[in-house]
Amino acid sequence: MSFGERISRILLSTPVLRIGSILSTLFGISIFVFLVLRVIPGDSIVGAFGIETGLLTPEQIAQLKVYYGIDKSLPMQYISWMQSFLSGNMGYSYSTGISIASLTAKALPVTIELALIGTILGVVMGIAIGTFSARKPGSIRDFAGQLFGLMALAVPGFVLSTTIVTITANKFHYFPNGYEFVRLWEDPWMNLQQMMFPGLVLGIAVAAPVMRTTRSALLETVDKDFVRTAIGKGVNARKVQSRHVLRNSLIPIVTMTGIQFGYLLGGAVIVENIFSLPGMGRQVLYAITKREYATVQSSVMVFAILFITINVITDLIYRKIDPRIKK
Amino acid sequence: MKLSKKFAIFSISTALVAGVAFVAPAQAASKDLAIGVTLDIDKLDPHTSTSFSTVRALGLVYGSLVEVGPKLDIRSGLAASWGFNADSTELRLKLRKNVKFHDGSAFDAEDVKASLNRILDVNTKAAARANIATITSITGSGLSVLIKLSVPNAPILAALDGVNMSMLSSDDIAANKIGKTVNGTGPFKYVSWEPGQSVKLEKNVTYWKAPVKLDTVTFRIIPTEASILAALNAGTIQFSVLTSPTVALQVGKNLNLYRTPGLGYVTLQLNARVAPLNKLDVRLAIQCAINRAEVVKTAAAGEAKVVGPITSPAYASDPDDRPCPNVDLAKTKKYLADAGYADGLTIKAIVSPTQYATASGTAQNLKAQLAKAGINLELDILDNATYVSRWLAGDFAAAVANNGGRIDPDTMYTRYFPSTGNLNKVAGYSSATMDALFLKGKATGRAAERKLIYKSISQELENNAVWIWLFAPYEYRAAAKNVTGFIPLATGSLIELRVVDLK
Repeated sequence: MSFGERISRILLSTPVLRIGSILSTLFGISIFVFLVLRVIPGDSIVGAFGIETGLLTPEQIAQLKVYYGIDKSLPMQYISWMQSFLSGNMGYSYSTGISIASLTAKALPVTIELALIGTILGVVMGIAIGTFSARKPGSIRDFAGQLFGLMALAVPGFVLSTTIVTITANKFHYFPNGYEFVRLWEDPWMNLQQMMFPGLVLGIAVAAPVMRTTRSALLETVDKDFVRTAIGKGVNARKVQSRHVLRNSLIPIVTMTGIQFGYLLGGAVIVENIFSLPGMGRQVLYAITKREYATVQSSVMVFAILFITINVITDLIYRKIDPRIKK
Repeated sequence: MKLSKKFAIFSISTALVAGVAFVAPAQAASKDLAIGVTLDIDKLDPHTSTSFSTVRALGLVYGSLVEVGPKLDIRSGLAASWGFNADSTELRLKLRKNVKFHDGSAFDAEDVKASLNRILDVNTKAAARANIATITSITGSGLSVLIKLSVPNAPILAALDGVNMSMLSSDDIAANKIGKTVNGTGPFKYVSWEPGQSVKLEKNVTYWKAPVKLDTVTFRIIPTEASILAALNAGTIQFSVLTSPTVALQVGKNLNLYRTPGLGYVTLQLNARVAPLNKLDVRLAIQCAINRAEVVKTAAAGEAKVVGPITSPAYASDPDDRPCPNVDLAKTKKYLADAGYADGLTIKAIVSPTQYATASGTAQNLKAQLAKAGINLELDILDNATYVSRWLAGDFAAAVANNGGRIDPDTMYTRYFPSTGNLNKVAGYSSATMDALFLKGKATGRAAERKLIYKSISQELENNAVWIWLFAPYEYRAAAKNVTGFIPLATGSLIELRVVDLK
């Protein structure tokens, strides 16, 4: 094999293609978020000064443009941000004077913890109800399971969150999120109470698609030859369900869970707001209203990297579940 | 099966009871007040901040030369007394004795000079610079200060109130420490700021007024007002600032609700410099098609007061003193026909629903009412920064706006309606009559004479349907029953927490 062939083989190998696709995705996201922020009206000066921007003189505006780094051309602004980001400097938040890396280091664990709790609750509920439904398709229990799935999809998170908050606070005088947020390692018991209800709201949102995926995957697998063989050989029904049917239905369930976990990382803004959790959703939302470009851009890149990492982990789980994928 | 059901019910009940029982941290003996607010502060420099949340929090830490009282009267603050010369071009201040900054240094004329000069310096980008731009010199020593003005300007006294006019330590200004360290003369000392979570303050034991009763005050950021109310009901916070009338109406008897008519107002701004609103008849047609009481009922759940242009109590406009104080669709049709729009017309209005609680309701109701008169109000829904950006550029035909009010009508409108005002582009209107009236109002010190001048300004604004003034929303404060002594202020300031006790 010639040197050129060897090089092209390496370049076309799966890991290299995968890394290339990851890097090009991240590059695309960085360009997209950078441009979207510049296209919408308003800038960091309006974000910081609001209507008082009208009181600033042209000289003051020029000074502020230099201060916020928006005096340069768009390509220069992008290159400057990307250079800093790649060297580990995410910039700093103008309104708080704190580095974005420090803000993210505080907010990210909150969002990851919330997404994990939501995903675990969602997967447990989704698989349990999906299995419960699939056991007797067309029965009342199936109808009840599907009704749960539909309701969980139809009721918006903010309605469910507000209902929970209102009932627990008014009837039981219980709203642990009214206290200052405490981290898991500071006070695990209080942290659990502050995460319990938002985790449940997100869990219900995750449970619906997981339940529907589980139900259809189980119904598809249960008709397969190997299941009939196992039943014919006299294997216990419970064992057939767990070892043969459920295990062989896991691929679509894992895919759905991975996607949902990714969405939860970026989509928990409303729940974080209602339950007053200082996570990444709030950080990005606040930065968008203040037009703090570096904070939004760097936070979105962190989300993108996490989303891609979860996809890679999902792929690894596939290999564990189905050894044929390794080949 | 039955047993497992009972176990499940027992487990859930136990978990809930345990949660309720264990959630409350041990109550300390100190008097700690937790205040729920939706927005975090955005900076620590009192001169440059324009955010309501920052102004409220820093208002407890800093002091100004004068204060606005509950009846919107001007009271002494760090200045014990004052007097103008005969033609209102010189203001002499006598400063209060024994006032100390939180770092222990004494407050005197040097601090006043340094603070006012910092505000006047264009490089500071101070929010209140325009209000005191007529100051030409500040001199004095010890506890005496003399402020000279370029033109007669009696209203400047009211402009000396507020967080944006805070008195800072001259040493801190010289050392360029403002915004990095917080050193005021207010009833509470700054302790810490955890962005997105809380701002903590503690009692200033050397405060110049009566001793402060609360040991600490914590502003806790809870982003939605429904959650703030939940936290109040659960007892996890004791005090809150609310803006939404619908949330305020849900405040139960277990809490105290303070409802104060604010100085701010909601209006439909019309840009008289763009067609078709450059025609007076079109603006008057809109004026006659709107029932303000219906807007209040629909958008603010009846929780607001119909107002005219001037909301400053001593100079308040009579809301009935305007063309068509009640809806008159016949007149609307006539005005439209006179303007050449007998078949109706379309007007685009910008609105930012996230800006304040009644924005969407107001816009929708105006659209519905104007539709009856053949006017299609096309709503352009924008996020706050986009709205502000277009508003500042005057890039709109109409704008549903919630603008701040002041206790003096001069400081309230001098930046909008005189042709030289820095927000005149936003006002979309100016006239020689208006310019002359504002100059006259500034130069006149006598209250009765000033009232007549501002009445004329109000009539000029209404008769020309410059904007459509709608209502003044209430300021709401909700507090637990054990919070005593609070006095609400229409300015939105929480300074009276200095007299609050926690029983």
